[in-house]
Amino acid sequence: MTLYKVTAATGFRGFKEGEEFEAELAPDEERRAKERGSIRVVKRDDKEGKKEGKE
Amino acid sequence: MSKRVALKDSVMVDAVDLSNFARSVEFSSEHERVDVSGFNATGSNEYLTGPTEQSVTVEFFGSYGTGEVHQTLYPIHRDREVVAFAWRPDQTAPASATNPELRGQVQLYSYGPGATRGDTETFSVVFQAADEDGLAFQTTPLP
Repeated sequence: MTLYKVTAATGFRGFKEGEEFEAELAPDEERRAKERGSIRVVKRDDKEGKKEGKE
Repeated sequence: MSKRVALKDSVMVDAVDLSNFARSVEFSSEHERVDVSGFNATGSNEYLTGPTEQSVTVEFFGSYGTGEVHQTLYPIHRDREVVAFAWRPDQTAPASATNPELRGQVQLYSYGPGATRGDTETFSVVFQAADEDGLAFQTTPLP
């Protein structure tokens, strides 16, 4: 699972700007959302379960 | 059932809430009518239902801020992406039998914002249903 933070006033998936949520977004959905500034990755688990830092 | 004035509609495109940037929504779903008439005593035509064409037309205000209309829609059109669309009458309540939500995967075959001096910038966008599930009204909220 990846922890995301919503960074746009238009929200994302029903979450409001400033809120954080955990999800496994499809790669294309995540790419579009990051490009338009809707979300940023706060923390991502790699395949072994380790935590990655901020992107 | 009560009548309603459209004020609180929810319009979501690719998980982005564009409700405040939209001012009209119109859903269209048409089955092609296929003429299978043969010779008959009354001369009546006979039809079968053919393929279904579905779309949603939304009139948006032009807006170019982070995560707003242009930043959401243009990449979808440019990159020929298929994204989720949802519209329901009341954004303050979840989808239900009395607040049905139109949902489906859509594509944007055309994208044409424009502006006129002194006028509010608005433009219409037609979202075409993009997969075999089409666009359908759902009465339960997304999980």
